[in-house]
Amino acid sequence: MTLFLRRTFPLIITFLFGVAFAIQYYVPHPVSEAALTEVSVWLRIILGFAMILGIASLGQVHYAKIRTGVAGWGYSVVVYVSMLATVGVGLWAGGQEEGTGFGWIYAYTLLALQGTMFAMLGFFVASAAFRAFRARSKEAAVLLLAAIVMMFGRVPLGEYLVPAAGPLAGWLLNVLNTAARRGIIIGISLGGIATSIKIIFGIERSYLGGRE
Amino acid sequence: MAASVFIGGWVAAGLTLFMFSFLYKDNPFFRFGEHLYVGISMGYIIIRIHYDVMIKSLYSPVTQEGKWWLVIPALLGLLVLARFIPKVSWLSRISFAVIVGFGSGVAIPRIISSNILQQVQGTLKPILNAGQRPFGMTQFNALLILAGVITVLIYFFFSIEHKGVIQISARIGIYFLMINFGAGFGYTVMARMSLLIGRFDDLILFASREYAYASLILLILVTLGLVLWERGRRPSS
Amino acid sequence: MRELAGKLLRLDRRAIFVLIALATLLPLLHPFGLPIRVSPEVKAVHDHIESLPAGSLFLLSLDFDPASKPELYPMAVALLKHAFKRDLRVIGMTLWVTGTGMAEKVVSGVAKEYGKRRGTDYAFLGYSPGGANVIINMGQDLTATFPTDYYGERTADLQALRGVRSLRQVNYVVSLAAGTPGVESWYVYGKEKYGFELGGGVTAVIAPGLYPFLNTGQINGLIGGLRGAAEYETLIGMKGKGVAGMDAQSATHFVIILLILLCNLFYFISPRTAVPRGSPEEVGR
Repeated sequence: MTLFLRRTFPLIITFLFGVAFAIQYYVPHPVSEAALTEVSVWLRIILGFAMILGIASLGQVHYAKIRTGVAGWGYSVVVYVSMLATVGVGLWAGGQEEGTGFGWIYAYTLLALQGTMFAMLGFFVASAAFRAFRARSKEAAVLLLAAIVMMFGRVPLGEYLVPAAGPLAGWLLNVLNTAARRGIIIGISLGGIATSIKIIFGIERSYLGGRE
Repeated sequence: MAASVFIGGWVAAGLTLFMFSFLYKDNPFFRFGEHLYVGISMGYIIIRIHYDVMIKSLYSPVTQEGKWWLVIPALLGLLVLARFIPKVSWLSRISFAVIVGFGSGVAIPRIISSNILQQVQGTLKPILNAGQRPFGMTQFNALLILAGVITVLIYFFFSIEHKGVIQISARIGIYFLMINFGAGFGYTVMARMSLLIGRFDDLILFASREYAYASLILLILVTLGLVLWERGRRPSS
Repeated sequence: MRELAGKLLRLDRRAIFVLIALATLLPLLHPFGLPIRVSPEVKAVHDHIESLPAGSLFLLSLDFDPASKPELYPMAVALLKHAFKRDLRVIGMTLWVTGTGMAEKVVSGVAKEYGKRRGTDYAFLGYSPGGANVIINMGQDLTATFPTDYYGERTADLQALRGVRSLRQVNYVVSLAAGTPGVESWYVYGKEKYGFELGGGVTAVIAPGLYPFLNTGQINGLIGGLRGAAEYETLIGMKGKGVAGMDAQSATHFVIILLILLCNLFYFISPRTAVPRGSPEEVGR
């Protein structure tokens, strides 16, 4: 019985939900539409709880660092203090951001920190371009040429110096890039459908986790 | 200017410079900023889940609109959290089965329609309509797209040996892919530079007189801090 | 010369960082203001909004977080200004949790500029988890998906949402997206079944991937990156962050092109026998 509940029952649920909602798309009956509406509401609530999973995992990692006193544990204290302070201010503000301390934290700390973290990639992409972007083969040369045409033709200075650069970059995007991308999309979609079918029929079980 | 905006400017400029200090090397300013970001993000997400999910989507509908059956997804949601208790972690499989089953089921027909059928239609339709007008750039482009799609798909078809006509087609497909990757790289450079421009824009704003030259003063302070930190790290001679 | 080329290839990357910093900073401080050519895909979004009669429903989904703010926030400002100028009923929302604050700020901020009233002329629904599930839910029953708006007002009572039962009643949806959930989610799970017109505004990283959908008409227009935002601002006669950033964009692109060309030049003339291909020394450079 335990083995049935642990292993087989989840697979049955996956199968039932998978088949039901694959077929639902082709059944315009009001009951079918109502089922889709209701279950999508359910999914939103379940996924809200699943988000707690990610946060709790992160909290666990930093708590372990503080408890064991590993090098850099002080920074984990920063994580906890800032998290609790944000939650405290957020609850005080009732979740509203306009003109509140919670909004201030968002606008002047989160925006600055996350924005800068990703802005630094600009420096690294330039460094990588100088150190690694070499035309070692014909294919690499084509890649490099396409990249240069794009970078040149999609900025005002490039279009000003060479008026044809803009339309050329546009043609590359709309024709050659579209062709390759379309092939990739079709390939990935076929693979995705195959994986979905494998999941529904219980062939692919990695999403369940564990060995059972 | 309101005090909160003024102080906010100094805080934002300071934190921006803390993060940028990583460009010199990994240092305590950056580590502090990085961990502060993690903590604040976690706190922000907790508040959003509390108000936008728990209260708006669950508590209010159940208590004020009488939708008591929403207790079922709430229970399934709690089962997800059973993952933290090793003895009963298998219970979370039920919730994941619902999530994955529903997700896979709804995805299949929609992806077939939008990513496969419509894309194939979009490739073939211009070719089929080509005969109605004199051969020009539009028709040429349509043929190029058809050639590109077919050769790229042939390249990715590894179940048959790539020799003869298949090999030639696959090689052409590689060149189409290289153009795609090159366009992607060019656009990625554009994206990364745009993000940098955005941050520098804010730093320039915070360097103005209105903010009492916050960026400039903090740049000097962070630089001094890094110098002192470097000196403190070096072994005494 | 070959020795010099070899040495330059091993240049400290911090020198490149300084170069990029200067290329970004100087044009921002002293812009040269070159004209911006508008692409057909950006014009398509603009023209569609122009064609909508006053009172039409325009849903703007701000599906991005602070990391993508420099590219997508200027697009949001330009689109909202255009929509409010055309007296469209605007519905704002987001599918990304950490984007909620930014989304609220831009919608309410631009609305205030145009004297638009919350609840009457526009509604901000806020965030709901689930990505594709939110879109499916909205396509089935919008007020059930968001029983209250971001500010706690019942959506069924909002004037801005009168006559709206689901996404089928929305005239135009634009998703400003930095990834998934984003434009792709809106057309696979939304437009596919519920039949609304869809436009996209995306970061430059994902823009090339959406051209096949532009080609088939699954999205009727595409605003890509800061350049796209600048083009839209040009179309509506506005000088915002998009236009302001274009000179710095030009400068940095030219620096990167120069670095790539120099890298290849130095690579081909440097003594390559000293650093075998694929060796740890070459990989570690």
